[in-house]
Formats: sequence, structure tokens, C-alpha cells
Amino acid sequence: MSGQSTQSAICMQAAESMSMRIRRVGARKLPQRLKTVLMRSAALRKLDWRRAWPEYLGALTITGFCTVIALPFTPHVGLLTIVMFYLLGTTVGALRLGRGPSAFTAVTNMLAFNYFFVPPVFSFHVDDPQYVFALGVMLIVALVIANLMISIRRHRDTADARQDRTAALYAMSRELAAASDAPAMMDAATNHIGATFHCSVTVLTREDNGRLSPITPSDESAGGGARMACRAVDLDLAQEVVEHGERFIKDAIYLPLLGGGRVRGVMIVSPRCPTPALAAEQLQLLDAFAVQLALSLQRDRLAKTAEAARIAADRVVQRNTLLASISHDLRTPLTTIAGAGHLIAQPEYALNVDRRTTLGLLIERKARDMSRLLTNVLELMQLESSRSALRAEWQSIDDLVAIALRGHEARLTERRIVVHLPSNLPLVLVEATLIVQMLGNLLENAAKYTPSGTTITISAAVQDEAMLLVVADNGPGLPSGDSERVFDSFQRGHSDTDIAGVGLGLAICRAGARLHGGEICAMNNPGGGARFEITLPVATRACESLPTESPLC
Amino acid sequence: MTEAMHLVLILEDDQGIQNVLRMLFEANGFRVMIANTAARGEQDARLFRPDVVLVDLGLPDHDGLHVITAIRTWSPVPIVVLTARSAESQRLAAFELGADDYVLKPFSAPELLARVRAILRRHVRGELPMGVLELGDVSVDMTRRVARRLDGCEVRLTPLEHRILETLVRHGDRIVTHATLLKEAWGPSREDSSALRVYIGSLRRKLEVDPSQPRYIRTELGVGYRLVIHAEAATLALDEQSGR
Repeated sequence: MSGQSTQSAICMQAAESMSMRIRRVGARKLPQRLKTVLMRSAALRKLDWRRAWPEYLGALTITGFCTVIALPFTPHVGLLTIVMFYLLGTTVGALRLGRGPSAFTAVTNMLAFNYFFVPPVFSFHVDDPQYVFALGVMLIVALVIANLMISIRRHRDTADARQDRTAALYAMSRELAAASDAPAMMDAATNHIGATFHCSVTVLTREDNGRLSPITPSDESAGGGARMACRAVDLDLAQEVVEHGERFIKDAIYLPLLGGGRVRGVMIVSPRCPTPALAAEQLQLLDAFAVQLALSLQRDRLAKTAEAARIAADRVVQRNTLLASISHDLRTPLTTIAGAGHLIAQPEYALNVDRRTTLGLLIERKARDMSRLLTNVLELMQLESSRSALRAEWQSIDDLVAIALRGHEARLTERRIVVHLPSNLPLVLVEATLIVQMLGNLLENAAKYTPSGTTITISAAVQDEAMLLVVADNGPGLPSGDSERVFDSFQRGHSDTDIAGVGLGLAICRAGARLHGGEICAMNNPGGGARFEITLPVATRACESLPTESPLC
Repeated sequence: MTEAMHLVLILEDDQGIQNVLRMLFEANGFRVMIANTAARGEQDARLFRPDVVLVDLGLPDHDGLHVITAIRTWSPVPIVVLTARSAESQRLAAFELGADDYVLKPFSAPELLARVRAILRRHVRGELPMGVLELGDVSVDMTRRVARRLDGCEVRLTPLEHRILETLVRHGDRIVTHATLLKEAWGPSREDSSALRVYIGSLRRKLEVDPSQPRYIRTELGVGYRLVIHAEAATLALDEQSGR
């Protein structure tokens, strides 16, 4: 842990010294825009002095230390040895100090040597011209050593920093690759870039209409940095970056995100506090980050497009199946109705009353089948298309169950119905007709697929702040492997049966449950039979407490 | 056949439905009059003073709701609305304007007949005597506010439950909207119908043989409640709703 922090401290130091170098050397070479940043940072020079004075103090200390150590040896050793002391001091100083302080050490060492050791001592005056020459050589040697030491140190730091950044880039790529959607990618990029550059990051993506909009972070807690960054984003500038596809630097750095030959968005990197401007190398690294992010976003976009295409294709198939099924299921009873009507209408057939009655009942029954089918089709279309809002009201589950049972009583005469509803069930905020239809469809389903004598159980309970409705039976149960497929439109549990009606009932149940933000699932009871569970995470309201009444007898 | 005297005015523009309704009511001893448009219907209602009016909400010239409003300005004649399944809000509006009952299209003939008979009976006899109300195996002594089950066990109704039941009884076999029930049982200030559901639930527990499948206190989804007093209407309606 501490090793890591020292490493990052070194890295930071290196970055600072690098930025200083760039400021001096690169001003000629770097593009005009970068110059503006450098000029801004010139205002921060004072800060550099304040930071540098301890180093100059260190330089003086080294000189003093060398002098104090050398003084006792004066009578015993020659001046050459003393010079070596001072050169050693300069070398050690260059190991830790910056270029300026190192040079300063060289100079102060030379002066100290002159003052304390070169005759006449305790004076800067030099009698022997030979000593003037020696002092000059000493200064040059010290400066060269210091310079070499600093160069070596800088190379090592650069290598360290480069390795560090490669690691950061790699870490981000890995996290981006693992991210499943744009907000997750944005979180990953924000965290990594923010940590590497000590800045906050905002990503704006270009919508289809050309406007820029921020990617909302998937998790509130994850995007603390991103939220902070949202404060001062120049949207006009970002738009300009999108149009020109080039990096722009103002208060913050605006980087275009290129993908598929187009600008897909802008990454805005704003420093958290005023820091020295970023070096060219850091800008390159930022570019690399931006490219990584852009590629990931592109990948996400392509995946979404593919998914949308797949859904559209599915929908076409589904529509076609729907049309085919509906036209079949409407034509069949129509044939019966038309035929029966014809038979009744023709006097020459001279049907007796019994036969007329049979035909009349047939017409009525077929018409009802058609009516039910139409209701289901219309409801499903409404649920799957435009309808997004629930017409929810406070309802009691007891009521809804009773109405659903009442509507299907005739078909359930040969089944045993058991209703388990706790008396303290709260009211729920649901769309009553939809829930009644869902329950009705489940009952109808049970009636269709179970033999007579089956027990159908309806129960309800509050579970994890959701209302759980269960319709279960002890019939033959679901065919294995069909438990999810039964909810698709036009699926029948047993493909080659003469059971009437397209399989829309359960599809409506699922659509209805989802419209309430819930889900329906099918399973087999442990003890046999099918079991459908509707979970509705809807608002509930506890019943008003009623005065309890005890029977009078 | 006292119903032989009853005149049914039908406001309906579809010829097929006209034919079916005419045959249905004539076969059951009613006199039938049919109007194609709202204007004609209003006129006929004034001229012939029918005993019951059936109104299709989708008439060619005017909204059926308009006709209900017009008739209610001068007559308390029972009005039964014929409405499509999807037009839930329209149904409620019809009740607020003074309709007495409704049947959903596609409706079944016997159900419609049962509804019309129930309404006429109520209308002819006026209000129920506030004596003993017989609901299958349970009899309710409305003056003592006590329900007596078949096994002789008696359950007392709370004042609020009693007021709700009284309101339902007063409207006979007809639908009572949430708003009416709230107004008559709680008073004008009460607007939230969730408490109503709770009290209806407790009434059912006291009066119904199987509260989970109530026979007598029926919920009419999105509209209100109906007390089914006459078994004939109850069974017929049941058969019809279940698609026999």
C-alpha cells in the first residue's frame, strides 16, 4: 500500500518536473492552443518558487555540511581531497534536488571552498592564479555531474511514469471491455481518468438529432466525480469540438470521441483545482483514453443497433403469426355461424325445434368465442403498443378475485375453486380491469389444460413490499422446459391439441404484469400441477381498522 | 303477464341489434319502439312515455350521454345504457348523468332482459320496505341492524355498514356508484373510496355465504356496487357473464 503511494508520489513529482521542462523547451514547438495553457500557467510561477525554496535551503545545508566535515581535516589533507568532499556533496545533492538547486549547490560549494580553504583563508580573494583555474574546473565538473545525475534521474522517472500510464490505460480498457452499457463505460472512464489526472470528467454523447447530452451514470454513488464535473461545461464549445473533430483546450480540455468515422461525443476533462497545465505527453495519454472510451461507446452503440434490429425482426415475425392465427381463429367460428344461420333460415329444411335450438346455441357460443378472442387481441395490442400509463386506482384484491371468478364461473363448474385471501390484505394501486383480465386468463388457462375434478387455488400475500397473486392447480402441470415460453404469444402448452383459442391469454398476463412494473412466472408445484405467480410491486395501503364485531350468539 | 303493458324504447342505430332486441322483448311480452337517432329517440320518449329506455352510447347524430341528460330533465324513467367494453369512463359518465344500469356489448339477450325486468320491478314497486331483507340463507333485520344466518347465529352490523346496506337496498338491483354510496353513507365531505371497499368487504363477510365469491353484494368494476336481491336476476346475469 505504502509502496504504491510512494510510487504515485514519485510519479507526480516526475510529472511536475516534466511539465516544467515542457514549458521551457516545448513552447516553441507545441501548437498555439497549448501555448495559451502555458501562458496561463506562467501565472503559477510564484507558486513554483514557494515550492522550490526548501530545495535551495537543502543546497546550502549540503554546502555547510561539506564544509563542517572538511574543516577538521585541513591540516592533514591536501586541497584536492577537500575538493572531492565538495564534489561528493554536489553529486549527492543532485540525486535529490532539482536542476536549479543542484547548480546552486555547485556554486555555493565552490564559493565555500574558496572562502574556507583556498589561501588566503576566510576570504574570497585568491592569490595564486592556479587556484582560480582549479576553482573554475571544480565548478564545471560539479555542474556536469549534477546535470548527468539529473538526466539519469529524469529518465528513470519518465520510464516509471510511462509504465504507470500504460498500466492505467490497460486497467481502463479492461474495465471498459467488461462494461455492458454506456453509463457503465462512462463510470469506468470517469474513475480511471479522474484518478490518473486528478481531474473530473464529463462525457457528452451526440444524439441522433445532433444534440449533445450527458450520459447519466448508472449508479448514483459511482459517479461522484462525474456529477462534480457537470458544473461548468461549455456546451457551445463542446458542440464546436464535435463539428471540427479536434481537441480544444480552454478552462477544461475538450476531447472529441471518434467512432465509425464520426464524432460520437465529447469528453470534457476539467481539473479539480488549479494545477499546472498538462504536458504534451499527458495530452497524448488523454487522447489514448478518449480513443479507448470512444471505441467502447461505439461497441455499445453497435450492440444496441443489432439488438434493435433483432427486436424489429422478431416483431415482424410475431405480427405475421398473429395475423395468421387471428384470421384462422376468426374464420373457423364464422364458418360455423354462417352455416348454422343458413340452416335455420331456410324453411325447406324444416328443422325441428331441438335442432334449431342446437344451432342457435352453437351460433351463440361461437360468437362468444370470437368476442373473447377479439377482446384479447385488442387488449394485447394496446398493451404492447402505445399504452404506457396505468389507469390505476385503489382496489381490494378480494374484489378483483371475485369478479374474475364470476366471469369464468361457467367454465369452472367442474373444478374445485379454493380462495385463500388473508383478511388483512392491503388495498393495491392497480388497474382493475387489467388485473381481472389477467386472473381470468389464468383461470381460463387452468380450465383449458386440466381435467375436471382439478382443484384450482387462488391466493394472495404481501411479499417483499409487493403483492403476490398465485393461481395454482393440481392438474398435469406444465410440459418441461416450457415455463418461460408459455408467455409468448400464440404458444399453447401442447402444440397439437384441439383446445380452442390462440395463445394470447398468458401473453396478456405478462404484458399486464410488466405494465404494473411486475412480473409473472410459471412453474410446476412441488406436489404436481401448474403454478402461476404474479408479482406486483405496486403501492399498497393498509385497510382502515374496523371495529371488531363478535357474533351475538 | 303484467309486463305486457310495458313499453320499451330502444335507441340503437344498428339494424341487426334492433331486430334482435325487438324479437327478444316482443317474445317476452313487451311492446317495443325503436329510434334510429338521438333526436328521434328524445322525441319518442316525450310522445310515448315508455316504461324503460335503452340507449346505445354511440348514436349517429348525438352522443348517447346527451340523450340521457335530455331525458333526465323531465323524466325519472329508468334508462339502461348499451356500451362497448372499452368505454369505461363513458360508462361512469352515464351513471353520473342519471343512467340506471348498463350492459356491455356484445351483451347477451337474457342478461339484458333480466336487467330490464329488475329495474321495472323496482320502479313499479317503489322502495323496498325497510323490514327484513332476505339474501339467500341470510336474513337481515334492517330495523334491528342484525344479520341472522341459517344456523341461527346473529351478527350485528355497525352503523356504517348498516347505512351502506341501506343505500344499496334503496337502489334495489341497480348499480350504486361509489360517489353515491360515499355521499349517502358518510356524508358529502368524504371523497376517498378506499374505506368504502373495506366496509363492503366486512359487509360481505357478514352477509355472504362465501365472501370470496359474493352472490349478493356485487362489484361493478370502475362504477360501483349492486345489491342483487332477486335470485332470478342473479342467476341469469351469472350465466350470461360466464358465457353460456
